[in-house]
Amino acid sequence: MNRHPLVGWLLLAPSLLLLGGLVLFPIVYNVWLSLHDKHAFMPVQAFVGLRHYVYFAQDAEFWSSVRYGVIYAGLTLVLQLLLGVSAALLLNEGFRGRNLLRGVVLFPYMIPTIVAVILWKWLLNDSYGLVNHLLLAGGLVRTPVAWLGKDHIMESLILTSVWQFFPFVVVTYLARLQTIAPELYEAAKVDGAGAWRRFRHITLPQTRNVLFVIVLLRSIFMFTKFDTVWLMAGEGGVSRYVRTLPVYAYARSFTYLQAGMGAALAVLMFLLLLAATAVYFRALRGDEAVA
Amino acid sequence: MRRALALYGGGLVLLVIGAFPLAWMLSTALKPSGEIFATPPTLVPKVVTLENFQRLFAETSFLTYFTNSVLVSLATVGLTLSVSSMGAYALTRFTFAGRERVAGLILMTYMFAPIMIIIPFYILVKQLGIVNTRLALVLSYTTFCLPFCLWLLRSFFHSIPLELEEAALVDGADLRRAVWYVVLPLALPGLIAAGIFTFILAWNDFLFALVLITSDELKTLPVGVNDLFNATIVDWGMIMAAGVMITVPTIAFFVAVQRYLIQGWGAGGVKG
Repeated sequence: MNRHPLVGWLLLAPSLLLLGGLVLFPIVYNVWLSLHDKHAFMPVQAFVGLRHYVYFAQDAEFWSSVRYGVIYAGLTLVLQLLLGVSAALLLNEGFRGRNLLRGVVLFPYMIPTIVAVILWKWLLNDSYGLVNHLLLAGGLVRTPVAWLGKDHIMESLILTSVWQFFPFVVVTYLARLQTIAPELYEAAKVDGAGAWRRFRHITLPQTRNVLFVIVLLRSIFMFTKFDTVWLMAGEGGVSRYVRTLPVYAYARSFTYLQAGMGAALAVLMFLLLLAATAVYFRALRGDEAVA
Repeated sequence: MRRALALYGGGLVLLVIGAFPLAWMLSTALKPSGEIFATPPTLVPKVVTLENFQRLFAETSFLTYFTNSVLVSLATVGLTLSVSSMGAYALTRFTFAGRERVAGLILMTYMFAPIMIIIPFYILVKQLGIVNTRLALVLSYTTFCLPFCLWLLRSFFHSIPLELEEAALVDGADLRRAVWYVVLPLALPGLIAAGIFTFILAWNDFLFALVLITSDELKTLPVGVNDLFNATIVDWGMIMAAGVMITVPTIAFFVAVQRYLIQGWGAGGVKG
């Protein structure tokens, strides 16, 4: 039988070549770049040491991008969790049309970001959008609201993102809910526990681990989200009111063509995430339930 | 009774959240331009027309973008499934020093969002001389789908008893035939889930297409459609028609194989 280790390595080779060449090498190259002044297209480059990092430490735009990033990731995370967990609890109950609804709820997550964005830009359009029309008709506002103007662009971005990504929470949370033994609930019902107490004392402890993972993954994904933010606000105009770190890194590299500075921002993004993850793990390590 | 009311009320809210925006997109796409801007807006078009779609195909390069997206996505699915099933097979059926460490390393690469390495990635692709080609997109998407697909398929291959393969070998098949006729068919749900995941990632991607492609005739849908906003007057009917055209393949694909997808998601999680 031909199970020689060499054949195993050969079968793995294409995967390792791609991941090594197109992920691991760029990671290392990125660190190297961040220590250099480099034009994005021209071959000009010069070693500058940590100068980019020193620059960003005092760069108001960097700190504002971190702040926008934290606001965006934080608020979208909380809202996704509330909506996603409620939806999952609902879809875990038995009722007619449940399976259809389980499919429909995934739609926002399956469609391309560009579609989610054009759709909400149309719904939120100040003159002809359905949202403003309903608000005006319902008497909730007197004049149309400029949802995509500088005062409300962050809210609109958060709304679009929550709509787009809450199904992720639904799917992962629902998968765990389905594995909770029904006997646990039966016993609690016999003891006369109401719906809220059953959730608080059975569902929540049982789903701690999956919540831990969901919060971790969603925060990382939202903090590094580029396309939704960029597509929603573009490059000029209102974009500076939602310029998160990924968008700032992109602008440095591909608009100002300062590849070295863009690379330094990418490294900073990674370090911030690493630090946040470490704090997160440490804060919850005390709870023995969390692996 | 109160329970049923709460369930169906909640269900209705969820239905509206999930489906209404898409229904509104379809409704706008099917309206003549006068009705699109009418007050009060009509939910169901009074007059159904395909003129927005006709304009989309006649006046923009939408068909080119669509073709590019289809080519790139299908090529990515083909390449990713071949590379990752070979790799996952090696990770489950061969024993060699460092195997588990390699598997761990592969999972680690999954932690890097494309935006974190897009700059060196771009410079690298440029130096390889494949910037502004569909090949560059296919390679990017394949690479970023690999960690997930490798881990997903690894868990599927793990669940297939080795004895089945051995039996085929005893019956005189060589390893290649045993894998092709015994292992892969049994791993089909995993392959389908990995294929869908890959297709959706490639079909939806915006960042790589934005950075790596410069000429209009090579653009894929997300970048091409975003360009439609650059017109002086935004043609909402046409843009919504474009939205419908991009959404249909995804949803059709997804509905066709939904149960496999959920199975796969349970096995490995998703990214995005």
